[in-house]
Amino acid sequence: MTLLGRRSAIVLLLVGVLLWFVWSRTVQPQPPLMRTALIMGTLVEIRVYDQAGGEAEADVNAAFAEMRRVEQLFSSAIPSSEVVRLSAATGPLEVDAETARVLKTGLRIAHSSAGAFDMTLGRVKALWGIETDHPRIPSESELSAALVGVGPDSLQVVGQLVSKARPNLVLELGGIAKGYAVDRAVELLQRKGIRSAAVNAGGDIRLLGDRQGEPWRIGIQHPRRADDVLLTLPLVNRAVVTSGDYERFFERDGVRYHHIFDPGTGRPARGCQSVTVIAADAMTADALATAAFVLGPVKGLALLQGEKDVEGLLVAADGRILKTAGLK
Amino acid sequence: MRERMKLFSWLRYATPLDRKLLLAVAILVAVSFALPLRREDGAQVIATVQDRVVFKAPLNIDRTVDLQGPLGTTVLQIAAGKVRILSSPCRNKTCVHMGEVHQDGDVLACLPNKLVVHVESKTLAGKTGHDFVSR
Repeated sequence: MTLLGRRSAIVLLLVGVLLWFVWSRTVQPQPPLMRTALIMGTLVEIRVYDQAGGEAEADVNAAFAEMRRVEQLFSSAIPSSEVVRLSAATGPLEVDAETARVLKTGLRIAHSSAGAFDMTLGRVKALWGIETDHPRIPSESELSAALVGVGPDSLQVVGQLVSKARPNLVLELGGIAKGYAVDRAVELLQRKGIRSAAVNAGGDIRLLGDRQGEPWRIGIQHPRRADDVLLTLPLVNRAVVTSGDYERFFERDGVRYHHIFDPGTGRPARGCQSVTVIAADAMTADALATAAFVLGPVKGLALLQGEKDVEGLLVAADGRILKTAGLK
Repeated sequence: MRERMKLFSWLRYATPLDRKLLLAVAILVAVSFALPLRREDGAQVIATVQDRVVFKAPLNIDRTVDLQGPLGTTVLQIAAGKVRILSSPCRNKTCVHMGEVHQDGDVLACLPNKLVVHVESKTLAGKTGHDFVSR
């Protein structure tokens, strides 16, 4: 090789190495399609890993639209919703098949948890007003009146016909509707041919497939340290829902009043700081997390252990952590 | 010194064009080092009143929210990826005059109404290396 040729080769090699170095520092791997929307009073995030472009964008928008449709069915704040219609009904009422399905799932968990999960606490919730600008502590007599006739036996669903034991029973599906909406969004994405995606509605999460060949890494919020997680779960094709006393609450005279009510007292349940449930679908996980929270750590753990294909983690009021067998 | 001269002796054989090319690439490398130092755009807004978190929201969804402090209502607006205080019950309106912010670490504050608004680049999941955090 001539001197000129050798010199050019060295310069070219040097330039090549430097350009590779610059490229490696600046080029990022292809990110997932990530979209967020405010639905059901919470931030919903959808991520799609295995598709990109306009088609995936349209599918994600369709999933958001599906969740908004579910909100229209089950929101207590929407006058035309099925829940408001049922609460106002003075006699048996025929509902659509979807509403009947959600109510039946809720009633199954209400019965298996001995009433700890309760879809008839609408009047109790309204008394506390925890999600309003002016929450308050109701009097004992107000709570007693609001608890008259509540419980799983006060609601019957036969086919699509729903009957209430008392005409003034007010339904509240906050403990199950968000999970159902998440399920509907994931099922829609699946029907569109998407195989790797996740829907996260304010911490109620359902995972579709894996994440680029690896399990998803799901952290569980530490109930008392906002900047910390309790543990990490590697999950594929599962739903994860956490109920905690730290998300929606107000404090009065140093006491925390949160939004998960014990149907026995009408007051916030005190046995747990948080309960996380891992199940095949978010609707079941959502309702079971509420039920186990109300039952407290020991009975709550027993409930989760008795459910098929369900795992859970409970943080007791004193900070003790209890896990089902599959998480140990 | 002699060693150093030996190290760069090949530059004697470089043409003016070679030297310009090398200079251009060296500048590119220097710029690539500077890139990560640029502050990231904020991902979420966190508002506290008297050190208690009262509001958390992403920067990419436009909204206006009323936040209650001891003096009254401070109105916060998120629009086009930026956050600002629209109105405040405080006397001097310093917080309103702070304008809009959007980068990681930016802060708006209304001290009379005990309100502090932070912009953070990462959520808890991002900070702890998770895809999501269930809460």
